[in-house]
Amino acid sequence: MESWGDGPDPAAGRAVSPLPGSNRMEQLVEGIAERVVNLVLDAIDINAIVGQVDMDALLAKVDIDAIVSKVDVDGLIDRVDVEKIIDRVDVDKIVSRVDVDQIVERVDVEKIIERVDVQAIIERVDIDSLVEKTELGTIIAHSTSGVASEALDVVRAQAVGLDDFVARWVNRVLRKKTADWPVGPPKLVNPPVPVPSLPVEATR
Amino acid sequence: MTAAPMTPVTAAPPDVGRQGNYAGGVTRLVAFAADVGASWGLFTLGAAGVTFAISLVTGTKIDLNSRTGFAFLTLGALIVWEFIYFAYQWSLGGKTIGMALLGIRVVATEGDPVTPRQAVIRTLTLPLSFLLFGLGFIGILLNKDRHALHDRLAKTVVVYSWDARAARLRWLAKQEPTTRT
Repeated sequence: MESWGDGPDPAAGRAVSPLPGSNRMEQLVEGIAERVVNLVLDAIDINAIVGQVDMDALLAKVDIDAIVSKVDVDGLIDRVDVEKIIDRVDVDKIVSRVDVDQIVERVDVEKIIERVDVQAIIERVDIDSLVEKTELGTIIAHSTSGVASEALDVVRAQAVGLDDFVARWVNRVLRKKTADWPVGPPKLVNPPVPVPSLPVEATR
Repeated sequence: MTAAPMTPVTAAPPDVGRQGNYAGGVTRLVAFAADVGASWGLFTLGAAGVTFAISLVTGTKIDLNSRTGFAFLTLGALIVWEFIYFAYQWSLGGKTIGMALLGIRVVATEGDPVTPRQAVIRTLTLPLSFLLFGLGFIGILLNKDRHALHDRLAKTVVVYSWDARAARLRWLAKQEPTTRT
């Protein structure tokens, strides 16, 4: 049952037209408008319109720097849960897709070796201890030793011992002070130590 | 009271890692004696080979001591051979057979490899050191750089080239684990 000019209709939730039949008219107009809009939209080719828009010109007018300057990058990063992202990354899968051979081929091994001080590494190795603790000793024994070489070592060691003995007694008898005497030719007992070249970055 | 089990103990070689140091008189003397033996032995073998070859070709047996001419010829050949033996080996690697056995070598005064010229001078002046009862060798005992007369004239020195460290490693490798120190 319709009411006429009795104010708002609580059931309908809208204002009640003060004129009889106006509500029906509104519905009719709305229906017509909706139909017209649909017809217009059907008739319009959106793609054709977009195609006519000069996007480059449009973008040229946009000040990207101004937009970026307004973005709070730090705040954005703070809101990113990096741990969560890393957890979701399948590292094995990524590694399996990496062509290690290709990377290795691009590495200049010679340049790396040049920067390594091999002499310093060797000097830090206790060869005596190494020989005692490993099978290296057995290998050396099998490969280099023999009765002849052992006998030769003994003869040489004895000769060196006698050299020292004779030199000591001669110097004692003649009362020579030999503390400041050179032990050998300069180039053999004090060879010039090559200075490893520093990388360019390190010298800056 | 029980006796402790006996374990074989090998005497450790002396610490003689002195590569590049001036060699002493004893080592040099033993090396020279070895060289004299080696050069004479090789010369005797060579002479025997030559006389055998001549006897095969000519059919007559040659005795090198039978005539004075042969003796002079042999002496001349020996001198030339000794010169070749020492000069060639010194110029080649700074060491003769005897020196290689004893682990020493000849180098220039500063430590550079010996030149062929120095090797020749050293060989030619070596006999001078024997003159006056071998006084030319006295410098090996008295001089700070252990120069003999022929060393001084040729501007050379004799140094140890024996790798005593390698010898120690060989010795260590041969020891039983229980006897290693």
